Amino acid sequence: MVATAVSLTVSACGNSPPAATAPSKVKVALILPCPTNDGSWCQQAYIAAQQLQTEGLIDLKVTSSAPQDTVSVTQIIQRYAQGGSQLVIADSTYQDAAFNAAATSPNTAIAFSGGGKVGGKVSTFEVPIYQPAYLAGIVASGITKTGVIGGLSAFDFPICHAQMEAFRLGAQSIKSSIKQVTTYIGDWNDVAKGKNATLAQADQKADVFVVCGGGPASGMISALQERNLSGFGYVGDQNSLAPKNMVGSLVYNLYPIFKAMVKDIAAGTYTGKDYDLGLSSFNFVLNPSYSVATIPPDILAKVQSTQQAILSGTFTVPYIAK
Amino acid sequence: MDWSLVLGVGLFRSGVQLAMPTALAAVGESFSERAGVLNLGLEGMMLCAALAAFVGEYYTGSAALGVLAGVAVGVMLAALKAFLSVYLKTEQVINGIAIVIFAQGITAFAYERLFRSLQVSPQVPPLHTIHVPILASIPGIGPVLFDQNVLIYVSLLTVAGVWLLLYRTKFGLSVRAVGESPIAAESVGGHVDLVRWLALLVCGAMAGLGGAVLIVGDINLFGPNVTAGRGWVAIALVIFGRWNPLIVFGGALLFGMTDALQLRIQAVSGGTLAAVPYEFFQALPYLLTLTVMVAATVASKRSAQPFALGVPFRREVTD
Repeated sequence: MVATAVSLTVSACGNSPPAATAPSKVKVALILPCPTNDGSWCQQAYIAAQQLQTEGLIDLKVTSSAPQDTVSVTQIIQRYAQGGSQLVIADSTYQDAAFNAAATSPNTAIAFSGGGKVGGKVSTFEVPIYQPAYLAGIVASGITKTGVIGGLSAFDFPICHAQMEAFRLGAQSIKSSIKQVTTYIGDWNDVAKGKNATLAQADQKADVFVVCGGGPASGMISALQERNLSGFGYVGDQNSLAPKNMVGSLVYNLYPIFKAMVKDIAAGTYTGKDYDLGLSSFNFVLNPSYSVATIPPDILAKVQSTQQAILSGTFTVPYIAK
Repeated sequence: MDWSLVLGVGLFRSGVQLAMPTALAAVGESFSERAGVLNLGLEGMMLCAALAAFVGEYYTGSAALGVLAGVAVGVMLAALKAFLSVYLKTEQVINGIAIVIFAQGITAFAYERLFRSLQVSPQVPPLHTIHVPILASIPGIGPVLFDQNVLIYVSLLTVAGVWLLLYRTKFGLSVRAVGESPIAAESVGGHVDLVRWLALLVCGAMAGLGGAVLIVGDINLFGPNVTAGRGWVAIALVIFGRWNPLIVFGGALLFGMTDALQLRIQAVSGGTLAAVPYEFFQALPYLLTLTVMVAATVASKRSAQPFALGVPFRREVTD
């Protein structure tokens, strides 16, 4: 019995053809500050990483709803680095944690989001949501009945500030009389406050909204449904959350960013740098079911031509960080 | 920009909506603290109840069952708190904070697992507004108090019920006695630990109702940390309200109104282009509540804090 088993094993080893060496998968770890199904920030990163895994390019490990203080994030990055991860993507403004961890794990590629310092093997990747926000502003100019547009932001820091300003400038580039009201919620997760802030702006006649922050976004969407107003989704495709009220969504497409990092690591050419793919990392997804107002065809044409101009580099969206 | 719209009916309606979850939790907390138990797990109870209410309504289609689920989960966590604080007599500050940390983790984990496969974030349908005939047309108060959804009315009745329970029933008298002087209460035949258990369960039910009202009565969806610190504000409001449920409720309404006000002022004054930093407006509700609290404490002749608050009761063994 044993002899048969042994002989079978030996013959199997002897007869098998030499296996073609498959390209080795890059070991990637993804650290998210929220759940993978939040419909926004974390879901987009998760989808992008999953796609790379499906394509066989990476071996993926994920930590979701991670604690967000620097010390905890540093520990999580270090644990992944020590566990063999070649690339650790810490998907929030985790610059300090990234550099702290890099000090003890200098050979692990670490990437944090939002822009900032780079060096060694620590990279950052940009969130140029202000660019599709400019396009959203152009659309808003065509559908606002009151001439007042609204912007809600969790906090007043560069990514959000630039988004609010670009929305205003995009609208004013078509109709200079358009006014914008903006409110800061003070919390990434406070849905109820986001909803109330939107309603407060609606009382000030604002009827088209853009938002920066997952919690406020959910609140805004709830308010749009209550008062039959219009708005744009944040980071994820939120069009189906309020099919009649969502004009479109500013969808963060992280796949090309993550793919570029993985490619650099696989090719051995990775160094700490700023991965900035501009508007190519954002899909401006219009909602075919939107029905609160009609978008004039010339506005749609202007959006198309502006989008082409941004992508080809002939037009630069103003970036106002403060 | 229209300043007159800042101080209109919209402000007060918004204030009531914003305030209600915190107000319910604060009234519940005042009840448990009157019995001498400090419940720092309030934020955790609200958050778990919020998830339970959402899951309950999502899977059964019934708003009422969602609210009941929220209340039930609040009570369950309160039972855990009572077990830790009243039976095991562990440090109340620490076990309360532990419950909050636990709640934040378990709700994020459970929400992700339960709804992972959906393409679109789940929502539940909003409640209809109920216009109370005649009363809703009273100028000023009418649209604010009598033109809301059913949960707001339920909340108001529940707060009145808790006040009655504390001040007009024998049980309420035991609660107050046990919080001031447990030794005296025990000596006349009261059961200190039992009363504290029950007071905590009432607190948990109120916190659960608060979490449920936030979801079922306002935002109709769940998100990570959706309670955003309301439980902590509620605990502070108990001190503000001098441990009297009605004053606590009033304080919560004041806080909510000021919050609604600062959002409206931000909208009027121009947001990104405003001269006054927006952080000042965000701090306004806290500043106002703190000022009133300090003034009230300084002006009053005696401390309103229950004498035995936070101290586990240990029966003296005498020969």
